[in-house]
Amino acid sequence: MKSLLLLLGFLSVAAMAQRNHHRQHGGKHAVLMGKVVDTHGQPLMGATILVDDNKYAAVSNDKGMYFIHNLVLGKHQVKASYMGYVVQQKPITIRQRKTLCDFELKEDSQSLQEVKLSAKSHKTEIETKGFAVSVVETKEASFRNIQTNELLNSTVGVKIRQNGGLGSNVEYSLNGLSGSSVRIFIDGIPMSMYGSSFSLNSIPPAMIENIEVYKGVVPGHLADDALGGAINIVMKKGTDRNYVNASASYGSFNTFQANASGFYRFNKGFTVKFSSFYNYSDNDYEVWGPGVVDVLPNSKTIEIKAKRFNDAYESKGVVFQTGFTNVSWADQFYIGFTGSDDYKEIQHGAFMSTYPYKDRFMESDAQLATLLYQKKDLFIDGLDINLNGLYGTRNRMVSDTNPFIYTWRGELWQDGQNNNQPREYNYGSQQEKDTYGPVLNFIERHVSSMRSGLSYEITPQHKILLNHVYSGIERDDYDEYATDLSNAFTETKDLYKQIYSLSYELNLFKERLKLNLFGKHYRQKVLNNKPSFNENRTEVINDVYKSDKDYNGYGFATSFEVLPVITLMASAEKAVRLPSENEVFGNAGDNISGNRSIKPEISNNINLGIRLGKFSYKNHGLVATTNFFTRNIQDLIGLPINANQLEQDDEVITYGNLENTTKSKGVEFQLNYNFKNNLTAHFNYSRLSLTTTRNGLEIDVANTPLFTMNGGLRYTFQNVFQPQGRLNLFYNFYFTDSFSYKYADGTHTADNGSHIVPTQWVQDLGLNYAFPKNQWVVSFDVKNIFDKAAYDNLSVQKPGRAYYLKLNYTINKL
Amino acid sequence: MKKQIIRLRSLVMALAAFTFTVACSDDDSGAGVVTETKADSDRWITVAGAKMGTNPGDGNGGTLVYAVSSEEAKNPDKEIDVFNYGYVVPSNRTARLQASQDGNTLFNITYAGDTGGSFFKYAVNGGQNYNQIGLPVTVAQYVGTAPRWIKLFDEDQTGAAVYVSTNDVVDDKGTDDVTDDEYIKTESKIAIVTLDLENQSINEFKEHTIALDDADASKGYYISRIDMPTLNATGDKLYIGAQVRKKNPETLESDSGYEILGSKTIVLDYPSLDNPTIVTSTVGHGNTNGYRSINSFEYNGAVYQANQSDPNGSHILKIGADNQYDDAYEFSLDDALGVTGAYVLAWRPAANGKAVLAYRHDGSTEGAAGRGESFFALVDLNAKTATKITEVPYEVDMEMFQYQHYAVYGDEIYFTAAPVGKDGNIYVIDTETGNVTKGAKLINTTGSHFIGTW
Repeated sequence: MKSLLLLLGFLSVAAMAQRNHHRQHGGKHAVLMGKVVDTHGQPLMGATILVDDNKYAAVSNDKGMYFIHNLVLGKHQVKASYMGYVVQQKPITIRQRKTLCDFELKEDSQSLQEVKLSAKSHKTEIETKGFAVSVVETKEASFRNIQTNELLNSTVGVKIRQNGGLGSNVEYSLNGLSGSSVRIFIDGIPMSMYGSSFSLNSIPPAMIENIEVYKGVVPGHLADDALGGAINIVMKKGTDRNYVNASASYGSFNTFQANASGFYRFNKGFTVKFSSFYNYSDNDYEVWGPGVVDVLPNSKTIEIKAKRFNDAYESKGVVFQTGFTNVSWADQFYIGFTGSDDYKEIQHGAFMSTYPYKDRFMESDAQLATLLYQKKDLFIDGLDINLNGLYGTRNRMVSDTNPFIYTWRGELWQDGQNNNQPREYNYGSQQEKDTYGPVLNFIERHVSSMRSGLSYEITPQHKILLNHVYSGIERDDYDEYATDLSNAFTETKDLYKQIYSLSYELNLFKERLKLNLFGKHYRQKVLNNKPSFNENRTEVINDVYKSDKDYNGYGFATSFEVLPVITLMASAEKAVRLPSENEVFGNAGDNISGNRSIKPEISNNINLGIRLGKFSYKNHGLVATTNFFTRNIQDLIGLPINANQLEQDDEVITYGNLENTTKSKGVEFQLNYNFKNNLTAHFNYSRLSLTTTRNGLEIDVANTPLFTMNGGLRYTFQNVFQPQGRLNLFYNFYFTDSFSYKYADGTHTADNGSHIVPTQWVQDLGLNYAFPKNQWVVSFDVKNIFDKAAYDNLSVQKPGRAYYLKLNYTINKL
Repeated sequence: MKKQIIRLRSLVMALAAFTFTVACSDDDSGAGVVTETKADSDRWITVAGAKMGTNPGDGNGGTLVYAVSSEEAKNPDKEIDVFNYGYVVPSNRTARLQASQDGNTLFNITYAGDTGGSFFKYAVNGGQNYNQIGLPVTVAQYVGTAPRWIKLFDEDQTGAAVYVSTNDVVDDKGTDDVTDDEYIKTESKIAIVTLDLENQSINEFKEHTIALDDADASKGYYISRIDMPTLNATGDKLYIGAQVRKKNPETLESDSGYEILGSKTIVLDYPSLDNPTIVTSTVGHGNTNGYRSINSFEYNGAVYQANQSDPNGSHILKIGADNQYDDAYEFSLDDALGVTGAYVLAWRPAANGKAVLAYRHDGSTEGAAGRGESFFALVDLNAKTATKITEVPYEVDMEMFQYQHYAVYGDEIYFTAAPVGKDGNIYVIDTETGNVTKGAKLINTTGSHFIGTW
């Protein structure tokens, strides 16, 4: 584990080190250099060297050497830390262009937490670039029974909107904007390309390096159309130490999750890495409330607490990559394969309605070939290239072949009008539809995506970045049970997207002023051909829908460090978000029907923020960040404003554009506190307004939580049970204010309140124990300890109290 | 360093103060909500408004109700703002409401949504106070989550909901060759469920497969929609209105420009719902399934039924005590109103056989919703007369195609009249004298309209 943490630390400062490396060519200031070794004189690779409280940072190379450029002449404090060693601090005075400062570090496992501080410097680095961004660290979570989604949910301004338990569809809300207006990336590749079976549901925190959450204004290097913001998941690169890690967890609702990952680099740079996951849950948790009723043979309904009975989920996947790392022609070159498949039962439509579904399920799979190439200083110093591509197929099948009526008891409904015999639905399937008969619906997709990035550092102050993203989806839908005739007329649904972005980065006054200017060009092509007979069935008519549209967006982000502990940040963007595949073409498995004429949403986003800290006083540390934001959105894509447009039966929903401008403003702030390395606490607060006008009345946009608070505490006991054994205790809470999933009708109207999602107050407890050598970590978590009703989206209830136990095993130094 | 912490503290406090202000700034709910009262001897009159969905007058934005005493309903100084102070009836699209005869109970089967197909009952307590009574009973398993239903006139005992699906019968002559296939007919599978309104339970459910007589059926005529069940005077037969359409027997596609058959009604035994037969009028042609308002009523031993889409204009048809159309009763609204192409939108007789009837005709100008300017008339079933009610200030945008219901209180009939998106009034007509009283003012909102009184 030590090495794993080290890896984190190494990577987190690697970027800075790299940047500093270029600086030496044009540096007018002095250079500080030195060597970091252990007590036996062995060089320590990956040690962190900080000057003047994180102002400058570097990491030692494989020979233990470090270099820090651009230092001002005079007195400085230099601190060296390395995972598992005692931190050493030295005052130095720089008088000449080159100054030496060596460190000899003493081993001490009690300083394990120190890396956390140095890793923070990377977090700080990103968080002070001017964007409204939060960096989520996954290290702590990776040993716990925590889903990546839960981790995000406790981040300021982020709200997870999940339709139920493990495996159910998830949307992310950033400052109130959700759905596809928030883009998710895995290492810069839009996650939607990987398909539903490879999602934040299935990626365990252990495989993730960190998560960057950009709100409203998205930097040009993440070239994509995102209106509400972007979440970039940076996967572990593993370019340092060889390791194998495995974990398994089991808990309530028969939930079993396992994952394993490993990395091995041979001498000549040949590298192999893999990661794999397996998730299973019955999701048979209890639900109640409107719609959850038992229907008696006489058709009377009685509200009951019901166990979900058709909601099991299973997913498995593997990511395998092989190639070369740290060789002359590539920093990283991998070709790989990503494969995953999942099975998900569908308990109900968009709402938990009177009659649940039985035996309706979907299966998805994805097989993707991937390519990754990264090289810094390609041909000339300062020119970096980054290529990332994938090609493959993704399929989904939805099956709904049981015609019988079931109740929330999980049993066949007994028809009192027919001697308590079972009864079939009039439409012969679980989900209501116009025609009679079973459904076996296939969606086959060919997907391709290529992301390329080129950046050139002209001088240490000026940098230009050019990025391009192409993604294409070619989709065929067919229904096994539809007539041969209608299947002969297969619909083609193709969606192509290209985004170009050009960014310019400037930093002045020793990086106290940073500026990032960017422009983006978006282009989307939709092609839908729906052949059908003419009225007299004499010829085939091609109902072709074609659109090829382009849009431009631009923005900036800037930050100014007034004092080392006060940074002001401002960013703005005219953001464009093109409608997603599901919004355009629909997706039966997620109960969405298509709307091919849907328009993109366009928003003017502004953020203003302050970051204060880190304040240190004796053993106390405190960081506070706050952000004010406004959004002004044309054609916001969301649930239709009129309940009736939720389709005739509400079992499926269609996305549409809001007719009037949507306005949002809000504030969020976050506090992080630590006491020594034993206690950390965080608290965040987010409140916003999101309104549109309807019939002249200004109303809240439906189905959006407007006020959330999250907080957490961690306390570490050292040397528990055994010397060097560590025990961590965790507490987290999640507060979500009540909101309505329908639009308000009038100013003072009354109703039965069934569309109100009540105030939620969910609390979790957890503990984990790391055995002395850190190879084994055991975690136990209790989620939702008071068994409160929890909802994210519409009125679909999420799991109540649950217990999970997790074992984590890591071997380093292979 | 300590200074910095203090500075930070004041910043946090400022932030907290700011957000607190945001939190409390718009909390004024409850203001202006009036408590409505009525004398014990009086009757609640529920007014319903249908909100605009996408287009003015489409009524697809939801249904709101508000109750006042009949005295207040007749008070021209009273203002009713149903769209801002009403009760939102849980339903997608326009709710199809029914009320008890005394106006104290409102009935609704949720039209789609998370409780689609569930029957709810509300106590009317004045103003926006509608309180759900008991637990809902669901009919979704019999007739789907968006059923058509109506209350029978049997002292508020029973409701009936219906559903129809169709199936083409083709003789393939035992070969795969489609060229020798012969179209036989299109069958309609009708489902009827009766509800005990009192005990909120199912009385009876039956399904039947029916078709028109062979001569018409082979030409492609079939029953495409059914609605508006009505009990006969003796209470042993249930009449269900029908819409008849035609398919092209060659292509099985919908036909157009065909001859309209005599108006038809499905007759079933009641309460067993067995033995379906189809009776046909020679007086009226066109559909008898109505739209959203009750289309036929029992009066003086017979059932009087309006028809729609009659090439000769709507008629009031009579089904006699023998459960057959009484073709001796001829009541053409074109003749009675002196218009062509009269189309009955919604009507309702009082116990004296005199009725209020909303109609449009070929001369109606298209209004906001494109469904034609509409008018009210006072109708006498015995004298077969119909007189336009002139006291109402008609406007082009007064389109009543979604008009649902009239509250009847003794000889008085209450109705709402307002153009789409404009304020209007409740009107009360004394059916005996024909006197019209302009009552409470109805406050409207953009693109919305009123759909009647209960």
